[in-house]
Amino acid sequence: MDTHQPGTDFTDGPNMINAYFACVNANGGVNGHPLKLYVELDQTQPSQIAADAKQLIQSDHVVAIDGVFDLLECTLDASYWKQLGIYEMDAGIAPECWAGPNSAAVNMGPRYSSDGAVQYALNSVHASKIVFVQSNVPGTGYIAAGPAAIAAASHVPITELTENVPITDANSVALKLVDEAGSNGAVVLNFTPPEALVILQAAQKLGVEDRVKSWGCSTPCDTDFLAKALGPKWNHKLFVNAEATDADDHNGPEMQLYKAILAKYGSDVAGGIGSFSQFGFLLAKFLVQALDTVKGPYTMKSVNAAIVGIKDYKSEMLCQPWTYGKLALHIPNNADYTVTPENGKMITVQGCTGISNADPQIAQYRKVATAAGVNYAP
Amino acid sequence: MAPVLLTGALFPSWQDFQPFLVTGLALGGVYALSGVGMVVLYRATGVLYLAFGAVGAFGALVAWQMVNQWGWNQWLAYAAGVAVAALLTLAYGMVFGSALAARDSLVKATATLGLTLGLLGVMDLLWTSSGGESRSINLPTDNHGFTVGQINVTTTQVICLAVGLAITLGTGAFLRYTKLGTAMRAMANDREITATLGVPIRRVEAAAWLGCGVLAGIAGILLADLVALDATTLTFIVISSVAAALIAQLRSVPITFLAALVIGVVDAAIESSPSQTFSNYHDMTPFVLAAAALLVINRRRVISISREGI
Repeated sequence: MDTHQPGTDFTDGPNMINAYFACVNANGGVNGHPLKLYVELDQTQPSQIAADAKQLIQSDHVVAIDGVFDLLECTLDASYWKQLGIYEMDAGIAPECWAGPNSAAVNMGPRYSSDGAVQYALNSVHASKIVFVQSNVPGTGYIAAGPAAIAAASHVPITELTENVPITDANSVALKLVDEAGSNGAVVLNFTPPEALVILQAAQKLGVEDRVKSWGCSTPCDTDFLAKALGPKWNHKLFVNAEATDADDHNGPEMQLYKAILAKYGSDVAGGIGSFSQFGFLLAKFLVQALDTVKGPYTMKSVNAAIVGIKDYKSEMLCQPWTYGKLALHIPNNADYTVTPENGKMITVQGCTGISNADPQIAQYRKVATAAGVNYAP
Repeated sequence: MAPVLLTGALFPSWQDFQPFLVTGLALGGVYALSGVGMVVLYRATGVLYLAFGAVGAFGALVAWQMVNQWGWNQWLAYAAGVAVAALLTLAYGMVFGSALAARDSLVKATATLGLTLGLLGVMDLLWTSSGGESRSINLPTDNHGFTVGQINVTTTQVICLAVGLAITLGTGAFLRYTKLGTAMRAMANDREITATLGVPIRRVEAAAWLGCGVLAGIAGILLADLVALDATTLTFIVISSVAAALIAQLRSVPITFLAALVIGVVDAAIESSPSQTFSNYHDMTPFVLAAAALLVINRRRVISISREGI
């Protein structure tokens, strides 16, 4: 289930999963079984999303829910999956993607990614004030609580702002952010790439990009599209939290496989190399690995037992091994990178760094993970 | 004392507001350009062209495609983008404009919503936003400007205001002093009588549609630079221009211009508010100003009810 509406298009995720499945099927499937992905696209209508979930189970008879890239799905279907004993794998947005027993995400999501961006501004740039700004949509309080806790732990003041999207007066927004942050402060954005781009470009056009110590952004800004569009003025000026290994910087066997599958089977992946397709690759790969462990017939029960049993699956794209497990909440991706634009590409400036326990949600996850024997060390 | 405190809490000081005034005037200039285009078309054809923003967005995206994907010269591509917007508008006007000429204004306006939605779908298909794709138009004039005190003013911002003013003055003179302009004004009064007087109404309408399309194309490219090159944003930003046109009761070109500037500046003032809660309401500016203006304008109007055919 994936959000697909004007301005918000997450279809690169499922399209990449389809590409991976096509590759697996071309090589004989999983234990001789071909894989089929059912994709339901929605326009953030709760009734549509709930109906899609029921259709997938009752009409399509799917045995697993994998590859959810959706603004609302985790919130709406959490109790349904729990009731059915389904362990969803996603790259989510909604808080419930990380806060419940039946959902685990390969991504970090807006809250923890914003934590990472604020952390970098505090610890590496040594900003004396943080201005954290995000879309004025429901759920922003949950996201802002993370950066607020991180800044409070460092005894640095933080101003939290929201902006209506789409942004219709980016110049005024950029001026306001710069005025608020001051010369020793940092502005941290949590927006989709188009919205972040208009703010950053407005700051550049007004010549105010150097009036703050640094600019930061959560993961969505980690795209070469943004780096190219911004140009060299933002080299080492904008620091973006990256939830997955930068595909330009790394070229290990797994990254080569990702690129090869993308090239051969991923013609529908419009954005090409990028975090959405990387997350799609990981969700497909982890599922296939889990399916490979199933003994006997592939039923909803056996497949979900294999999914929840995922433990220490390693990937070049993530900082730490990925584990599902029967936990009260799941934040298996809780360490990340920081990248910055350099000549039209994003390059890594900081390697794997754990998100601070100052965020109470992260602290809680690590507590339950430690108790369950989960390895989360970067 | 209370009003002073309220002002301080809701609005920034004059010094803090000055940079926002520049951005507000620049945006207001483009709103004016769009509003004038809509007023002229309405006066000539009776159509409130709600697809103005979508057509401008389409032209801007075509220009972006030409520059970034096909390697065209920037200015040539922008001219082509304007031409595409103009031709799209002309084509719509020729096909649907005359077919709906006898229908109610509401029907005509609603029909343009069909074009809006169709174009939105096409743009979403051709210029997808999946995988974090983001596009932008940066006019060469962005790199030039001057500083007034602490305020940076880009040449693009000056152009936006200047083009808005020039189009307003030019359109006013055109409607008043040219044959075509006179014909458009006559059609606004009565299409049928104008036709019986020998005015080639199809040709006059075509000129109005084409002119409106050219303005939509110019506004689309300026707004793509000033705001964002995003189909949805550009499609719906037209609301501010519609509000300006409504304040001018879809008749007066100079009032449309002034109303658009006021909307741009008030929007920027609210955006710059020290109060986060108040600031988040800045998008309501065009609606509130249009509603307030219409209430004031209609305050002394006598409502007359007639019963025909009895």
